[in-house]
Amino acid sequence: MKGAAGETAGGLGPVMWRPNHGYDDVSTKTLGFWLYMLSDAMMFTALFAAYAVLGHAMNAAGGPLPGTVAHPTHAFTETLWLFSSVLAYGGAMIALKKGNRVGVMAGIAVALLVALGFLGSDLHEVTRLFAAGATPERSGYLSAFFALVFYHGLHVIVGVAWMLVMLGQVAVFGLSEAVVYRLLNLRLFWHFQAVMWVFMFTFVYLRGAII
Amino acid sequence: MRGFLRWGRARAVDSGAGGRWPRGPAGIGARRILRWLWPGTLLTGCAPATTRATFWMLDPKGVIAATQTHYLALDVLVMLFIIVPTGALIIGIMRRYRGGRGGAYDAHWDHSNAIEAVVWGIPIITVGILSYYSVKAIYAVDPNRPAVISRAAAAHPGRPPLDVDVISTDWQWVFLYPQQHIATVDRLVVPVGTPVRFRLTSATVVNDFYIPQLVGMIDVMPGMRVRQALIASRPGTYEGFSANYAGAGFSWMDFETRAVGRGVFRAWVKKVQGGSRRLTYAQFERVARPTIDVSAHVSYYAWVEPGLFRHVVTEVRDGKTYPTPMAMTENMTAYLQSRAAQASAH
Amino acid sequence: MLVHIDGPWSPLLGRLALTEIPYKNPILVGTFLFAVVLAVVLVGLTTYFGFWRTLWRDWLTSVDHKKIGIMYILIGLVMLFRGFIDAVMMRTQQAMAVGPHSAGYLDAVHGYLTPYHFDQIYTAHGTIMILFAATPLLVGIMNILVPLQIGARDMAYPYLNAVSLWLTAAGAALVMASLFIGDFAHAGWFGIVPVMELPYSPGVGVDYWMWAFQLSSIGTTLGGINLLATIVKMRAPGMTWGRLPIFTWASLSANLISLTTFPVVTVALALLALDRYLGTHFYTAGLGGNLMLYNDLFWIWGHPEVYFVILPAFGMISEIIPTFAEKPLFGYMGMVVASLGIAGVSWGVWLHHFFTMAAAPAVNAFFSITTMAVGIPTGVKVFNWAFTMFRGRLRFDLPMMWASAALFFLLVGGLTGMMNAFATNDYMVHNSVFVVAHFHMMLLLIVYAIFGGVNYWFPKVFGFRLEQRFGRMFFWLFTAGTAVVFVPMFTLGFMGMTRRLDYVAFPQWQPLLDIEVVGIVIYVLSAAFLVAQLYVSLRDRAQNRVGADAWGTSRSLEWITHSPVPFYNFAVTPEVHARDERSWRHERGLDDAAPVVYEDIHMPCKTAIPLGLGALGFGLAFALVWRIWWLALLCSGAIVALIVIRAFMTGTSYTIPARDVEKMEHDRKRGAAKPARAQVPGGSPAPVLGGGT
Ligand code: HEA
Ligand code: HEA
Ligand code: CUA
Ligand SMILES: [Cu+2]
Repeated sequence: MKGAAGETAGGLGPVMWRPNHGYDDVSTKTLGFWLYMLSDAMMFTALFAAYAVLGHAMNAAGGPLPGTVAHPTHAFTETLWLFSSVLAYGGAMIALKKGNRVGVMAGIAVALLVALGFLGSDLHEVTRLFAAGATPERSGYLSAFFALVFYHGLHVIVGVAWMLVMLGQVAVFGLSEAVVYRLLNLRLFWHFQAVMWVFMFTFVYLRGAII
Repeated sequence: MRGFLRWGRARAVDSGAGGRWPRGPAGIGARRILRWLWPGTLLTGCAPATTRATFWMLDPKGVIAATQTHYLALDVLVMLFIIVPTGALIIGIMRRYRGGRGGAYDAHWDHSNAIEAVVWGIPIITVGILSYYSVKAIYAVDPNRPAVISRAAAAHPGRPPLDVDVISTDWQWVFLYPQQHIATVDRLVVPVGTPVRFRLTSATVVNDFYIPQLVGMIDVMPGMRVRQALIASRPGTYEGFSANYAGAGFSWMDFETRAVGRGVFRAWVKKVQGGSRRLTYAQFERVARPTIDVSAHVSYYAWVEPGLFRHVVTEVRDGKTYPTPMAMTENMTAYLQSRAAQASAH
Repeated sequence: MLVHIDGPWSPLLGRLALTEIPYKNPILVGTFLFAVVLAVVLVGLTTYFGFWRTLWRDWLTSVDHKKIGIMYILIGLVMLFRGFIDAVMMRTQQAMAVGPHSAGYLDAVHGYLTPYHFDQIYTAHGTIMILFAATPLLVGIMNILVPLQIGARDMAYPYLNAVSLWLTAAGAALVMASLFIGDFAHAGWFGIVPVMELPYSPGVGVDYWMWAFQLSSIGTTLGGINLLATIVKMRAPGMTWGRLPIFTWASLSANLISLTTFPVVTVALALLALDRYLGTHFYTAGLGGNLMLYNDLFWIWGHPEVYFVILPAFGMISEIIPTFAEKPLFGYMGMVVASLGIAGVSWGVWLHHFFTMAAAPAVNAFFSITTMAVGIPTGVKVFNWAFTMFRGRLRFDLPMMWASAALFFLLVGGLTGMMNAFATNDYMVHNSVFVVAHFHMMLLLIVYAIFGGVNYWFPKVFGFRLEQRFGRMFFWLFTAGTAVVFVPMFTLGFMGMTRRLDYVAFPQWQPLLDIEVVGIVIYVLSAAFLVAQLYVSLRDRAQNRVGADAWGTSRSLEWITHSPVPFYNFAVTPEVHARDERSWRHERGLDDAAPVVYEDIHMPCKTAIPLGLGALGFGLAFALVWRIWWLALLCSGAIVALIVIRAFMTGTSYTIPARDVEKMEHDRKRGAAKPARAQVPGGSPAPVLGGGT
């Protein structure tokens, strides 16, 4: 059919070759990012499993127990920080749809600042705990607790760095294809990290309040 | 057949503590050459009396080991029923269709519902059968509550079980007899026909407590307590060792298990109780210091601090360790030389 | 927060000191001299043939999936050799150190290796063989084949592909570095806690093991993402799921495993690192740690990992057998379901590696059953291979020899695996050499499939066949060696011999241990024939040139393009009509259906950044091993910087005009004298680092 290019040497018969067969670059990259998130989710799962295993009173080794370490009220303010940041990034995505370059940059900038707020709040909490003697090397339970907190915090730090880079990229390249798929992947990443936080809130902080 | 499984009995009970190896040079002598010929003797079914070779796995001397061996044989039999015909099928097809000689070459045949059903069906059925036996066997020898031991004990109500607490260190075995208040290092003595109940823990790293002819492996873990049980059904000396790598001295970490008559056991306990060494916790800490026991040294304690086992578990849970000094890991040459010198001076 | 360590430490060099170089150990000094001589020879040859430029432009900076695959395979072979030497040392030590009166040499009490040295050897052997030999060999083969089998131009992310390669290479380099600087772990390839905790492993060995493992596992995770995305997104038109070549299905299943389980081992090792560096209590016995957690996390990866390596091996066997039976694969759908089934079940069996940990009987029962259930899909595969040969026209060329021998290893390994899976048997044989023999059957199956696959696809990649006469000798000797080493090992298992014994207390095992040494000698002989085979193949390559279809009866899509494969794989994307596209075209006389119209081809540019990332990864890991904090910070910073720089780079791909493609294709047709470089798969004139031509 369609075009001599596809035909066999004889002219008739089945199509053997397909010139200009295109690949959808953006969706390929997005799929890859989903796969990456799957593997990252496995890391979180493993850490949650470690937390579950080390979350018994025995693992506190006489040190602080979940109830005294994991404060749901404080975690709730942290949740607010994070969700506002996600919301702000959503604003950037709306601007992206409209092709509004300045809007995109503004949205990212806000998301970035709010994320810094989260990090500050996180840091404050951690220093408070450290000051109270609840350090990772105190007990198996605290090791697992801080591993989760730090691993999530690492995601926020990476997200902040990534946002900085994207601010630069939007400024330099505008909304080119490469920039757009990176913005989309960053959106995925930012949501992912927030979802993981929700799990932490539920399994670490709320549960900690009950136990 | 049974005979071949049994030849080369475990080595006879020797007299005292300490020297456990037949003394004298081994080198390249007649015995060594005999051993060389050993696979040949395997085929003809008669073994030279000097060979101490034993298929421990197929030569159980205790209730638990016998149950395990029984299920092993069952499992292998079922498996052979399917693996051997499969192998034969593959070889047959390979021979028949080599170079298309089998005729009936069919360039497109790649599907048959009937065959596919059989191909899925056979393994499913086999796995079903094996699963049934596997579960049964697991409950029969469950280290926490071995059904076969309970049954055997019920048959002989007059024999109260013997308790033995086992503590592994780097790299020795400490056996505590709480009822008798005695302890041994690297030597286990149990009465024949009596249930022996173990509690096991480790002062340092994980080991595997294993006496092939009496009982299967159980992990011995620091800060934790596991259980195991056995009944020896015949007197004899059986080798036991750690099966789980535990650091530099692991290869030397074996102990003899002597299963003796109940009268002999009582006499042995008396003898040990008559000794002078006492195993307090402080003394235990000295025993538990990393030592590679290349000369297979056995020691006995006439008295043991009550609650020592639990004390060790608690201390380990609270963070007690017996660190391996750098000199015994990075460069243990000097250390080993000194041990070897000690051994030969012995 | 940092834990206190024994021994000296300086800010500049960390724990590193001149005394860490084991110049007093004659074995290591010998190895070092060997390595130096080898390096000098290699550098000399490279210079003599003026190969430096090619090496840099066509290999080290390449993002071509075929070259990356070849480099993976080279790493795998080098490490296979290293693992082999380790095996030789283990076997000779265990034969020498039998009984209380065996002699000791080189300061050892018995044999010639001190316990700690021996322990490092088996740890290195296991780690190397699984992570740095089998895995790279298979990943390399998947890298080369998957894009070709689905008619793609390259992997979905060629740049990421190169990053994966260099991370793996960095891990391998780290293992090798541990030979001459410091020492390696001594706690087994799967690591044993708390032996790996600081009190029991105060040196740097465990750190080497941990970071090398970490680098390669990150590389493999990224590689898994890449292969999955490639298979999902890059298939040629007409390549439906029902037509996917079986090897590609196997790769898909395998990489589903790697994607979901490698992250778990990354966490397992990261927590160990926290224990060793920051003094946390994840796996300690005291202060609330739980050492069983490590076993769970590790084996949740560890068991699936063995299926990650076996599935591609099964895939290769499934490709080789139909070609040499001249028949399509029997029960294609069943094979696909079986592959996915093995991948799926692999997740739920990990506990069989510690049946002896006194879990509740219900737990052991559950895992015993799930483990045995793996026998079902595996059995289906065996039977389907048999029925593929049924009514066939079998030819036993070299690839087929390797593949069919592999079937028997599967039967023996499977039988013994099922014996282990029967939990009460495992109470007897766990940690015995019976288990060691079981998994060597399985892992040698992989080695067999790899040798089969290499023989089978070599002509596709390099354009000429491997020599067969020495190849056969190698096959037979290798098989004999395997039999003579591992049959006694099974026997020793029944005699109660446990694994990892530096010193063997019981003299009744001596005869069998001696026989195993004979097997090792046969192995060494066989390796000589392998070298001969490679040498003769290279020498006579002109006679052994092949066309697109090297074996005359090949079936899948990769056989319709030229051998060696041009750097753009297919001049024009092929349209796929059938499961066995090559056979389909062949039967309709369409072998020569060349494209009439050519198109511009877009290709990714070469780049040195992945190599840089690998080097920095090595630097970071080395710094962490020796606790040289400034170097660790520097390398981390440089890694971040490189990633950001790459993000700002433009012009990372270039275009080959349709005209040029047509010309290259015609040149090939006419067999015109080609520049030597074009003989190299994917030999291409592309620029390094951006700037399209
Ligand atoms: C893929 C995995 C793999 C492979 C192929 C092998 C291959 C071999 N292994 Fe190994 N082995 C393991 C994985 C593997 N092993 C693991 C995981 C362990 C457990 C470690 C632990 O306890 O922690 C182990 C442990 C182990 C032990 C256990 C010691 C003990 O615990 O007591 C022994 C002892 O004999 C052994 C021997 C051998 C031998 C003789 C071979 C032979 O088959 C080797 C045959 C030779 C070759 C395969 C090389 C041929 C190729 C070349 C020479 C390359 C040429 C190169 C170029 C041309 C560039 N292995
Ligand atoms: C590629 C590697 C590979 C593969 C494919 C397998 C396959 C299997 N393995 Fe193995 N295994 C290892 C590599 C592998 N293993 C390694 C490296 C270790 C030890 C690590 C260490 O400790 O260092 C190990 C250890 C190991 C153990 C732990 C032993 C111990 O430490 O105590 C167990 C226990 O269950 C086990 C079981 C099995 C089973 C049931 C299979 C099954 O998948 C086998 C299925 C195949 C068949 C059954 C044959 C073909 C089928 C038929 C012909 C159909 C009909 C048959 C039946 C239905 C019965 N393996
Ligand atoms: Cu397993 Cu304690
Ligand atoms: Cu397994």
